[in-house]
Amino acid sequence: MSDLDDFKATYFDECSELLTELEEQFAAIEAGDRSSERLNAVFRAIHSIKGGGGAFGFSELVAFAHAYETLLDHVRDGRIELSEPVTTLCIRANDIVADFVNAAKAGASPGPGYGDDERRQFDALTSGNAVERRDADEDDGEPIEDFDIDFVPVMVNLDAGGGPVPPASGLPEDAFGTAPLSVEKGHWEIRFAPHRELYARANDPLLLFRELASLGELTVVAKVGDIPPLADFEPFGVYCSWELTLVAPDVSVEAIAEVFEFVEGNCDLSIAQLAHPRGEEPTLADLAALVAPPPVPPRPAPEMSAAPSFAELAETVKREMPARATPAPPPGLALDPAPLVALEDPEDRRSGPEDRRSAGVQSIRVDLDKVDRVVNMVGELVITQSMLTQQMDDTLRARYQELVRGLEVLAQTTRGLQDAVMAIRAQPVKSVFSRMPRLVRELAQRTGKKIRLETTGEATEIDKTVIEQLSDPLTHMIRNSADHGIEMPEKRRDLGKPETGTIRLSAEQAGGNILIVVEDDGAGINRERVLQVARSKGIIAADATPTDEQIDQLIFAPGFSTAETVSDISGRGVGMDVVLSNIKKIGGSVNVKSRAGQGTRMTLRLPLTLAVLDVMLVKVGSSPYVLPLSSIVETIQCSRAEFGRAPSGAKVLRVRGEYVQVVDLAERFQMHGGAELANRFVVLCEAEGGVKVALIVDDIIGQQQVVIKSLEENFESIDGIAGGTILGDGNVALIVDVQGLRTSQLHKNAA
Amino acid sequence: MRVLTVDDSRTILAMLHHTLSNAGFEVLQAEDGQKGLDVLAREQVDVVITDINMPVMDGIEFIRKVRASGEHNSLPILILTTETSQDKRDQGRAAGGTGWIVKPFDPEKLISVIHRVVH
Amino acid sequence: MENLALRDDYGVGTQANSHNSLQLIAFSIGEQTYGVEITTVREIRAWNGATPLPNTRDYVRGVINLRGTIVPIFDLRARFGEGQTSPTKNHVVVVMSVGDKWVGILVDAVSDILTVGKDEIHSVPEGNSLDTELLNGIVTHDNRMVGLIDLHAVVNGAKMDG
Repeated sequence: MSDLDDFKATYFDECSELLTELEEQFAAIEAGDRSSERLNAVFRAIHSIKGGGGAFGFSELVAFAHAYETLLDHVRDGRIELSEPVTTLCIRANDIVADFVNAAKAGASPGPGYGDDERRQFDALTSGNAVERRDADEDDGEPIEDFDIDFVPVMVNLDAGGGPVPPASGLPEDAFGTAPLSVEKGHWEIRFAPHRELYARANDPLLLFRELASLGELTVVAKVGDIPPLADFEPFGVYCSWELTLVAPDVSVEAIAEVFEFVEGNCDLSIAQLAHPRGEEPTLADLAALVAPPPVPPRPAPEMSAAPSFAELAETVKREMPARATPAPPPGLALDPAPLVALEDPEDRRSGPEDRRSAGVQSIRVDLDKVDRVVNMVGELVITQSMLTQQMDDTLRARYQELVRGLEVLAQTTRGLQDAVMAIRAQPVKSVFSRMPRLVRELAQRTGKKIRLETTGEATEIDKTVIEQLSDPLTHMIRNSADHGIEMPEKRRDLGKPETGTIRLSAEQAGGNILIVVEDDGAGINRERVLQVARSKGIIAADATPTDEQIDQLIFAPGFSTAETVSDISGRGVGMDVVLSNIKKIGGSVNVKSRAGQGTRMTLRLPLTLAVLDVMLVKVGSSPYVLPLSSIVETIQCSRAEFGRAPSGAKVLRVRGEYVQVVDLAERFQMHGGAELANRFVVLCEAEGGVKVALIVDDIIGQQQVVIKSLEENFESIDGIAGGTILGDGNVALIVDVQGLRTSQLHKNAA
Repeated sequence: MRVLTVDDSRTILAMLHHTLSNAGFEVLQAEDGQKGLDVLAREQVDVVITDINMPVMDGIEFIRKVRASGEHNSLPILILTTETSQDKRDQGRAAGGTGWIVKPFDPEKLISVIHRVVH
Repeated sequence: MENLALRDDYGVGTQANSHNSLQLIAFSIGEQTYGVEITTVREIRAWNGATPLPNTRDYVRGVINLRGTIVPIFDLRARFGEGQTSPTKNHVVVVMSVGDKWVGILVDAVSDILTVGKDEIHSVPEGNSLDTELLNGIVTHDNRMVGLIDLHAVVNGAKMDG
């Protein structure tokens, strides 16, 4: 990855955080909090997005953000009132900024003219304030009121036939001031008289002269004639000015003026072409190669007392002077090095202790890949550790007590390491939740419904990978609620409900799981309709009589969509089955509960961590499969199990007075077991919603911990399989999707 | 040579860090003016590069406080500005800023500007 | 940071000499020779078994562990409708990237690396629908006919109901 890509990745990360922050700030603003701190934060967020965008040349993004920023600036300082329409415009603008950012990320454009309407609105709003605006930042120039000094413009005389260069005010007359006969190209005379502010801002004449010297041959003459009698002497007064000649044939006046860019306004400055070169050979006195230290703070007073000796000191600085070295005197000149003491050696200033390195570092940003590598290795370590522990039989335990103790410590440390690594990856769900307000706004707008989103538990932390996988399912669930759940305002009114429907989004931790709930107060699932569609699409058998709970789950069946016309929102050929498959992919499950007329609640149960899963290793045919321990109720030898037949002819298991659906995995997976039934095992599992299912496997090998690997990364999802894992011997075992088996069995009966 | 970079944008901090460390500078970072002051209280630095718009303490206030402390009168402070925010830049100068760098900055230009204000 | 200035140059100049020719890895299935572009090949390894995947087509031989990721293996002979390969340790899996996925192709042997001109590529004659589905074109090399495998087509529709 190139540096640029790195920076871009940082930038887009940062943008998504800033966009999240914008959502939050505007949620508070909409709730009535218009404190200046909020408005400043909003301004800063857009400013940062713009600034970074500029660095990468995202010009469309920058142009829009700039216009928006101008509006925010007006809002921030009260020139524009943050009325409701303005707030709405801002929220819309945030969405547009997000679109520009996403487009930039994808290397695309949101399309010509995108955001132009809003920009026109910004302009209309801000130009309505044109009069006040002019006062505030007239022509982007120097707001004179900020400066307590007079500005002396750079004086330039480039006219070849020009008359004498008028002396700059306050400078003594001398040979410089004599009228030249002709302008000699490349010979410049510069008068430079710093004001006190120049030093107060840590500008340093030496550095300016050094830069000038890099342009050509420079002669520096310090003028100290303005030093007053000691009685009037101000210790921190500025009494020194300089006259410089620069022999630089190819240098423009702009290049010279640029050297003084930072001190403009903090000094008297004139730059002019010299009429004729000064004497070819400067006198030895002129060439005393010293730069007079400025008699101003922070120079200590003792140096100041040396002022008389500054008279007529000058320095010739060769143009090839190394840029970062202290200027060296030209060879052959006898010099008193003493005044050089005033030139601070930058190296000397670095005298602090070496522990500076730790400066200001409280957190570091680490590439997620690196964390993932650690996570993976810790996962493997956990597995190896548990395998080692399993190897210890009673004989070994008795004989090698030290080893046993060592393994116990290893187990503890490993568990601690695992927790610590997982904590690194954990992130609050806020980053996903914060995308939902926009979605709800858009859904409300497109459907003509009134919808309010309430979110709780945003601080709940989950593994980053889970969070990334959460966005699509949540989007679908909320779309589903808005599209199919919440009724139109009139209808709600007729039903005696508030016109505004509510979607509640919440997250909480429950044991080793995270529960994410999307709940609406809409009409509930129309079971008659669902059943009708499921039958007509062959998702269930025409004569099947599913329970209400089973009907509700049907909305997650592949190919199911209840929208009678494919709407812009819930349509697009994908339905709630996407939710289920995404959630299954990360080892989670989905449950739906609905009450007619009162609403629907969908619960996502997600694992806290993706790294390690406790499983039972079994054999189906000759292949290894694993079953999540969390879903296993008990195991029974087939020879002791009580099988029967349901009226439909389907095999059932009778266990503690309950009849449970039986799935023979060898048959279901076409793995040609061949083992005799009596030698096989029943693994009784509990699927989502407390429903049990009995899986028949060919052998039970043991329990262990495994790292979940995705099948879809390189292949595609397979019904009844939740993923894969790599066993100690390097072979791949497949993870059985208990919930999926139940559902697909129901579908299969339809065939 | 040590540079303190103060900016609330990670992107900008990262790009500054890259450019400056490639040029042989030692780079310290702070995310706002207050943190910048904290670093200056502990550390010797040769030059400061600061953004203006920052939470907690903005760049103007930061510069003002640095200069008011009296301990850093000769510490060069460069202001990060954009082409369009000249008024901010001027406020930064009025507060005691030594010079400025216009974003988006060109790496070579950045280094040459630093050499313009640092020995 | 030079990269900032060079951003417009991305993606150019990398294959200056390969405008008109292709390098292929050629492999055999029985008497037939097939090829894939060498740039797609990630690794070649001996057959060492695979964990079968339930409810997939007969040409999906299962999945293997490739340094911690799970990679599916396609039996190219079966894909061309000529029955499953009975693999031995001498059979070869060519791992390659198809889009952003990595897949393995089970073949009898890897035979050669060929350089062919792009203008030597002929279209696949109509007739055998599997050939037209699975091949991008045909080139002749040393009087051998080499079918250019369309990897996307090979891996498509691997599920029973897909």
